[in-house]
Order: sequence, then C-alpha cells, then structure tokens
Amino acid sequence: MGTWNLIWQGLASGVVTGCVYALVALSLVIVYKSTDVVNFAGGELVMIGAYLGLFILLGLEWPYVALFVMVPIGSFVLGGLFTRFSLDKVSGRAMVKHANLVPLVVATIALSYLLKGIVRVIPFTEEVRRLPPLMTGPPIFLGDVVIQQQDIAIVLVTTVVMVILWLFFGYTFVGKALRATSQNIRAAALLGIPVNLMKLSVWGLSAAIAGIAGILLAPKLLMTPDMGTVVMLAFAAAIIGGFSSLPGCVVGGIALGILQNMVGIFISPQAIAVTPFFVIMLVLLFKPQGFFDTTLAVKKV
Amino acid sequence: MYGSPSTRHLLSLLWLVLAGFLFPSWMPEYFIYIMNMLMMYMILAVGLDIVMGWSGQFAFAHIAFFGIGIYGTALLNMRLGIPFLLGMPLAALLAGAVGYLIALPATQLRTVYLALATFAFSECAQWAFRTWESLTKGPDGLRMTAPQLFGHVVTNDRDAMPIIAIILALVLAATFYLWHSKLGRQFHAIRDSEHVAMASGIDVKRTKVWALAISAFYAGIAGGVYTLFQSYVHPDGLGVSMLVLVLSMVVVGGSGSVAGVGLGVVLLGILPELLRSAPKGFLIWQEFTYGAILMLAIMYMPKGVWGLWQRIQQGRKA
Repeated sequence: MGTWNLIWQGLASGVVTGCVYALVALSLVIVYKSTDVVNFAGGELVMIGAYLGLFILLGLEWPYVALFVMVPIGSFVLGGLFTRFSLDKVSGRAMVKHANLVPLVVATIALSYLLKGIVRVIPFTEEVRRLPPLMTGPPIFLGDVVIQQQDIAIVLVTTVVMVILWLFFGYTFVGKALRATSQNIRAAALLGIPVNLMKLSVWGLSAAIAGIAGILLAPKLLMTPDMGTVVMLAFAAAIIGGFSSLPGCVVGGIALGILQNMVGIFISPQAIAVTPFFVIMLVLLFKPQGFFDTTLAVKKV
Repeated sequence: MYGSPSTRHLLSLLWLVLAGFLFPSWMPEYFIYIMNMLMMYMILAVGLDIVMGWSGQFAFAHIAFFGIGIYGTALLNMRLGIPFLLGMPLAALLAGAVGYLIALPATQLRTVYLALATFAFSECAQWAFRTWESLTKGPDGLRMTAPQLFGHVVTNDRDAMPIIAIILALVLAATFYLWHSKLGRQFHAIRDSEHVAMASGIDVKRTKVWALAISAFYAGIAGGVYTLFQSYVHPDGLGVSMLVLVLSMVVVGGSGSVAGVGLGVVLLGILPELLRSAPKGFLIWQEFTYGAILMLAIMYMPKGVWGLWQRIQQGRKA
C-alpha cells in the first residue's frame, strides 16, 4: 500500500493520458512525414475538436456517438481549407527543390493564433467548460487501483483509431498513395498520384485525428482556448519515436504519460510541466534518431 | 557584397544617436517611451531575423533569451551591484552561450529538431522564471532597481533614450558588418541551399549553431535595454504571444533585410499601444488580429511591406 498504490495508479492513468498524447503525436508526425512541416497549430486543432464537440453536444443536442463522426469531418474540412488556401499559397512560389520551410511553419503559428482568437471571441467560451464524460458508471477496481469507465473508453477509442489508421495506410489504395507521396513526391506525381490532393488529405486526416484527441481530452481537462498547450507533450512523444515512426508515437505517448505521473510522484508536481522539455533535450542529446527510426536517420543534410 | 558595409549606412546611424540625444529635451514623455520601446523591439527583431530571415533556421526560443537578458541584467545589478555597462554584456553573453549549447545537439540531425528544441526551451525558461522564486520572485514579477551608468542612476525614459539609441546604433553597425562578413554570407548560403553550401566548403552545422548563438546574444542585449526604461518584469509577458509579436514584425516588415525589419517594428510596435487604448470589447480580438496579420502577410507578402515597396520602385524604373 501507500507508495506502491500510487505508482500503480500513476501507471494506469499514465497509460490513459498517454493514449491521447499518442493521438496528437500521430497527427503531427503524419504531417511532418509527408510535407516536412512541423505543425505548431497541432494543439489548437485539438482545442477546436473539443469545442466543436461541445457545440454539437450542447448546441445541437446530438448524441455522443455523433461526435465521433461529425468532429473528424469538421476538423478534416478545416485542415483541408488551411492547406488549400494558406499553405498552397505560401509554398506555391517556393516550388524549388529545397523549399524554405520557415514560411510554412510560420503559417502554422499564424493558424494557431487565428484558431485561438476565433474561439476566444465566441461568447459561449467565456465560461470554462468541460465535456460530459464519454461513459459514466461506477469505477472499476483492479486491486487497489481505481479506473474510471471513461478512461477505459479513451483507451478503446484510441485503439480503434490506431487500428483504422494502420489498416488505412497498409491496405487501402489511398493510404498507399499517401505513403508513396510522402516518400518521394516526384516519383508519386510521375505515377499519376494527385499529389496536391494527397497533401490536402494528409492535413485533413491529421486535423481529424487531433479533433478526436480533443473529444477524448475535453472531459478530463478544463476547456479553455489555451488547452492547445498539450502539443508540447505530443512533440516529446513524437521525438521518442524519431518523429517519423507511427508505432513510435504510440509507445512514446504512453511512456510520456507514465513518466509524467512518476515525476509527479517522485520529484514534484511542479516539475511535471518541464518533463516534455527534458525528454526532448535528452533524446536529442543521446538518441537523436529516436528509438524507432528504422529507415534513414539523416533525411536532410 | 563581400567586404565592409557602405559608409552611407554607417553614417545614417549617427542620425539615430543624434535623435537619441536631442529628442528627450523637447518631445513628450509618452513619445519618448514609445521610441525606447521601438528601439528595444528593433534589437530583438533584427536578432530573430538573423536566424530566421538570413539563415532560414527555426528559433522559437528568442523570448527566452530576451528573458535571460532581462533577469540577468537586473539581478546582476540588484544582487551583486554590477553596473549596467558590465551587467548587460554579461547577461547577453549568457543568453548567447545558452543559445550555443541548445543549438549544438539540435542541429545534428533534421531541421525539425531545432524547431522543437528551441520551442521546448522557451516553455522551460518561462517555467523557470515563474517557479525560481528565490531569484525571480516568480509569479509576483520582479521589481527592478534602476540601473546605474557611470555612477548615474537611470530613472526615467528621458535619461534612458540616448543610451538606448547608442546601443541600437552599435548593434545595427555590428549587423551591417555581419551582413558583409564571411559568416553573414554563410548564413545566406545555408538558407538558399544546404547542399550547395556544403559543397562550397561551408560547415553547415557550425554555421547554424553560430546563427542561433548570435541571435540569442542580440535578444540578451534587448533584454538589457528593457531594464533601462522598464522597472517591472513578469514571466507571463515572456511567452509565445511576445514571440508571435516579434515574428510578425519580421514577417510583415520584410525578413532578410534590416530596413524591412525596421519597418515592421514601427508598423507593429505601436499596435500593442493602440490596442491598449482600444475599448475593452476589442481586447478580446487581440489574438485574432495578430493571427490574421501574420497569416495574410506570410501569404501575400513573402518579402513583407519592404519587399512590396521595392517591387513597386523597380516597376517604376523599368
């Protein structure tokens, strides 16, 4: 009892939050893999997903299940619009071989501010809100460890999303076309793959995954326009996976969720906030290619 | 291009110094304050432009280095009684050294890592400013004692203006020399193509590390300047929103050119002041406004207002 109980409890809730980090990390990595852009609006896409869910649930009074259809669709459209109207415009003039990435990343920073700004001016969001839990009911006891039913739902949804992604990328035609585009855009274009449409779909898909993460996160956190800060943890999770491996994101996310709780127990609750920073720096120093990078470690110079 | 900057550029800086000495005697107090602030932003923005505009590298820790400059200069003065002229360079060197140390591992592999490492460091630095209460007074903010220069205590904006003008003139002169130096040319080379730069015998990693270290040093100087005309610093002011402001200055004005950055500083530097006097209902639109400005600028003005103006000039000639 005592410390051990805390540790088991920390492990269990670490896995749950880690699942959400893993989803956000996935959304960052698929965009990075296919366009080389680090999406600094990733956290805001999570936030938008959560608020979209809230509006559908409270405004339209649709059932909870509808969120898992409507929010990804809404987020997908948002991601697509951003690519079509902003990124294409920014990169359109830089279609040289070594496009300067700085303007593209600056565009994502601008997007993060725009999204935060839009949500903040909607009067509805002045109050701090919380999505109702996904599943209610008595908590489940595993020995001394208490697990909420909603936590089980989070793990289940994450698993389903990952399986769908795995099937999509591995076994469908569009998924394979997406992978081809991210590996070699010129060869893909020569084979007749509509690369611009692919780029748009990747951003849409990434936004959709972030949106789902938002619905999962919103019942556990207080909802504010600033809840996008979760992206820091997703970055750290992605770095553990070498910023290119999808399974790496999952392992990285869960490892980070557990690590956060352990830091809270053994070091100090205040230090939780800087855990992702130390993870990023330590991985960069000692294992810069991450723990999962199987293919080329050095892509650029 | 290679060699020393034109004397015309260097001489124009004398006007800046002259204005710094003459304006305080007759301009209104508020105007002097705005001028001081714009000059501080100029140092900050030129520093950011060196790493992002000149070298094409990501550096999101700029405000963290700015904070190191502020707290460093102020605490050296308050705790150890080190005068400004020694304390500010020390704090700026510390900022530069930290920048060097972060860039060293972060430039080893893909470009993404520098963006992430600097972004993470800026969060961490803000956390440190907030929680290291014995040093920074944490969330209460730090009341700084007035800095001393040659035994003279700088207490108001009027006293500070000539000093800030001299510092800015020196920084800009150094920037002009850097632009024409070998290192400055290497910065431009790695932005345009890392492969070509490497084939030309440029040590790409080393160049990146120096770009970040120098820009951090600039930010540290700007932090020192902050202590000259402000008496209070709060960790909340040293976050992402400040970075977005300085980034917008660089992008809107025109990245990769000192004149463009200057234009951006003037255009956007007065924006916070305008927003401050705006009705309360408008304040909530602040984030949206900055986001929209940044987004539109990056979409429609790749070289900023300065580039736009130059294009019009060229069109007129042709």
